[in-house]
Amino acid sequence: MHTYVVKRLLLSGITLLAVLTLIFFIVRIVPGDPARVVLGEQATTQAIDAMRQRLGLDEPLVVQYWRFLRGALVFDVGKSMVTGAPVLQVIGEVLPSTLELSAAALVLGCVIGIPLGIWSAVRRNRFADYVIRVASLLGLSFPAFVSAILLLLAFAISLRWFPVMSSGNSTGLADHLRQLVLPAVNLALIMAAYITRVSRSAMLEILREDYMRTAIAKGVPPLAVVWRHGVRNALIPVVTVTGLYLGILIGNSVLTEIVFNRPGLGKLIVGSLAQRDYTMLQGLMVAYTMIVVAINLMTDLTYGFIDPRVRYE
Amino acid sequence: MRKLVVSLTFAGLAYLAAAPSALAQKTVLTVGVATPDVGRLDPHVATSNADRGIVAGIFNGLTRFKPGQATFENFEPDLAESWISNAGKTEWTFNLRKGVQCHREYGELTAEDVAYSLQRAADPKRSGFSADLAPLAKAEAVDKYTLKVTLKNPIPSLLGLVSNYTGGFVVCKKAAEEMGVDFARRPIGTGPFMFEEYKPQQFVRLVANKQYFRGVPKLESVIYRYIPSDASRDLAFESGEIDMLFGKQDEPWLTRMRKIPGTVAFAIEPAELNWLNFNITAKPLDDVRVRRAMMLAIDRDGITKFRGSNANRVAISVIPSSDQGAVDLKLPPVDIAKAKMLLAEAGHPNGFTIKMIGSTNPTMATSLQMYQAGLSKIGITLDVQPVDNPTFHVQIRKDLSPLVPYQAARFPIADAFLTQFYLSTSTVGTPTGVTNFSHCNVADKEIISARSELDPAKQKALWAEAQRKILDAVCAAPVYESFVLWAHKDSLVLGYELKGSMNLGPPILETTHFKK
Repeated sequence: MHTYVVKRLLLSGITLLAVLTLIFFIVRIVPGDPARVVLGEQATTQAIDAMRQRLGLDEPLVVQYWRFLRGALVFDVGKSMVTGAPVLQVIGEVLPSTLELSAAALVLGCVIGIPLGIWSAVRRNRFADYVIRVASLLGLSFPAFVSAILLLLAFAISLRWFPVMSSGNSTGLADHLRQLVLPAVNLALIMAAYITRVSRSAMLEILREDYMRTAIAKGVPPLAVVWRHGVRNALIPVVTVTGLYLGILIGNSVLTEIVFNRPGLGKLIVGSLAQRDYTMLQGLMVAYTMIVVAINLMTDLTYGFIDPRVRYE
Repeated sequence: MRKLVVSLTFAGLAYLAAAPSALAQKTVLTVGVATPDVGRLDPHVATSNADRGIVAGIFNGLTRFKPGQATFENFEPDLAESWISNAGKTEWTFNLRKGVQCHREYGELTAEDVAYSLQRAADPKRSGFSADLAPLAKAEAVDKYTLKVTLKNPIPSLLGLVSNYTGGFVVCKKAAEEMGVDFARRPIGTGPFMFEEYKPQQFVRLVANKQYFRGVPKLESVIYRYIPSDASRDLAFESGEIDMLFGKQDEPWLTRMRKIPGTVAFAIEPAELNWLNFNITAKPLDDVRVRRAMMLAIDRDGITKFRGSNANRVAISVIPSSDQGAVDLKLPPVDIAKAKMLLAEAGHPNGFTIKMIGSTNPTMATSLQMYQAGLSKIGITLDVQPVDNPTFHVQIRKDLSPLVPYQAARFPIADAFLTQFYLSTSTVGTPTGVTNFSHCNVADKEIISARSELDPAKQKALWAEAQRKILDAVCAAPVYESFVLWAHKDSLVLGYELKGSMNLGPPILETTHFKK
C-alpha cells in the first residue's frame, strides 16, 4: 500500500507541474492586463508600461515562467499583482471556508441522498420511487443561484431564521453554524440529488444479484437483506462518484459563495480572473489541483475499507 | 401564582439588564459595496469606486469638496487653512493646519508629508493619477507648516488637484516609506476613520480616529461589506444586516428601494456621460456625413426615457453637463430621413455593416442594443463582438474597435474630460495615449489654450468652442447621463445635504450618526 501511495504522489507531482504550466500560459493568453487594473482607466500608456515593468510583466514569458516554477518549488507563489497581499496567505484565509462548506454539503448530501436512493430502489416503480426520482431530477436541474435566492427569501427574509450574509461577524460556534446552514443546504440539494440517483442505480444492480435472491429465499428478513448484503456493496460506486463529485462540488461552490456572501476559493478565482491577477490565479490553481489530487487519492484508499477484495499493488 | 410572579419579576429584571444594549444608540455603520473584494487602499492607486469610497474616510486633501457636493465651485480648506498664489498662478503657497495627527502614532502631519504625497501622486510608477499631476514642477516644504507648489504652467484646477480626490489625498510619509507596497493594505492617513481590519472577501473595518482635527467621529466604526451579488446586497439591506448600499445602476432598483419602509434611496452627481466614440480615421467613419447620420439615428430622448428619468438625464454636450465649462450644444433631435440622406450622399444608400467590440457589462450591453436598434433604421448593422469588461478595456485601448461605447465622469472641470477623450496626444495606441478613442484632433488649440487662460470668462469661451468643434466634427455622439444610485436606512444621518460625491458614494464623516 505504501508503494502505491508513493507512486500516486509522484504521479500527482507530474499532474501538478502540467497544470501549473498550462495555467501559467493560459492566463497570459487571455486578453487583459493587471497593470491596467491596478492603475485604472485614467492611466496613460507610459504609466501602464512603468507598472508592467514593476510587476515583472515586461520580461520574456520564459523568464517569468522559470521564476514562477522556482518559487512554486519552495511553496512561494508570490504576491497578488493587484492587492500586493501574499497569495498563500490569502488562499489560506479563505480555504477553510470552502472546505467547511464543501464538507457540510457532502455530509448533508450523503445523509439525505444515500437513504433516499436505497429506499427508492427498494420501492421501485411505486409511489415513493416516483416522488424521489422527480425530486432528485428537480434538484439536479435547479440552478444553484435560483435555489439560493429562494432559500434566502424564505428563511432569511420571511422567517428571519438565518442571516442573508453567511460570514464575517459570527459571535460563537452556534452563530457560526447558523451562518453555515443555508449555503450548505443549497449546495447539498444538488449533491443529494446526484447521490440519490447513483445510490438508486447501484442498489437496483445489487438487488438483481443471485446472493440477494438466495438470502430472501433463505427467509432472511427483508430489512436485514437490504442492510447486510445490499447497502455495503451498493456503496462502492457511490464512494467513487462522491469522491469525483467532491472536486466538482468545490468548483461549483462559487455561485453559493457569491449569493450567500461567503469567502472561498470560488469567489476568489472569479475576482482574480476579472482582475487578471496572474499570481493569484496560479496560486489558486495549485490549491485546486492539490485538493482534487488529495480527494482522488483518499477515494482510492477508501475502496480498500469498503471492499476487502481491493488490493493495492 | 407566587411562582408566576417571581418568574415574571426575574424576566422583567433580565429584560431591563439587557435593555441598555438594545436601546443604546447604534454606532456601527455597515455599508454594502458591489465588488467581490478590496483592491488597494493606497489612495494613489485606489482606482475602483469601492476603494475610493473607503479611502475618502481615511485620508484628507489640502482642500476638500464641500461635503455632499461634486461641483468645482465648492472647495473648502481641509489640511490647508489658507493659500495664496502669484499673479501668474504658477506658484502656490499653502499654510497647513497645526496639530493634525497621522493615525496609529505616526506623528504630526507636516509640509514634508504633503510635499512627499504630491510627488508620489505625480510618479507614474507609484500612482494611477500621475497624468493629472503632470503640470507639477515642484512641491517643497518651506517650513513645518508651509508648502510651496510650483507648476510648469498655470492650470485651471490646482485647488481640485490637491483636493480630497484621487491624487490629492495626503499620505503620511513615514508610514508610506516604512510599509512600501504593504501601505495599500494598511493605509495610514489623517481622516476621521482609521483602518482597523480586513478579512479577505468579507469586509474592511474602519474605526473612529479620536484625534481627528474636526472632532471625534460620532460613529465608532464603519464596516464595508463586500457583496458582489446585487440580489444578495438588496436582501441584506432588507433584512437589516447592512445600513447603506451601493445600488444597481438602473431605475427599477431606485423605484423598488423607495418602496421599502424606512429607506432613503437617492441618485447623486456626478452623472456619468454615456456616449459613442467614432474613430474618425477608420473607414467608413472617416466621412463626417456617415458619423452625422449615425448620430441622427440614435434617439437620445427615447433611450433616456427607457432607462428612466429619475436615474438618468439626456446628454447636452460631449462632456458631462455638471462639469464646469459644459455648454448646452442643442444637440440635433433624431431625424431618420436626414440620416438616410446623409448616408446616401456618402455613398451608402443601403447602409453598411460595421464590426465593433462591446462589453458584457450589463449597463453597456443594454445601451449597445439600443444603439443597434436606432442604427438599424438607417440600414447600419452593428456587428457587436461581446467580450468581458477587462478584455474590452484592453482591446479598445489597442485601437481595435472603430466604434467605442463608453460611460465616464471625471474631475468636474471641462479640461479633464476634453483632455482625456478629445486631445490628440491622448489618442489610444500612442505612448501618451489615455482614452481618446475617436482620434479627435479638432480642438487641441482650444483645449490647450484654456488650461493656461487666467481670465475665467475667456477660459469658458475656449472650452465652449472646443465642445462645438468636437460636435461639428462628430468625434462622438453623446446620448445620456446616468446618476450614481445609493440607499440607506432613514435612521442614518449623514450630517450634510447630499447632492453629489466625487468618490461616487456618500462621504462618511465625523458628523455621520444614527438617530436615537
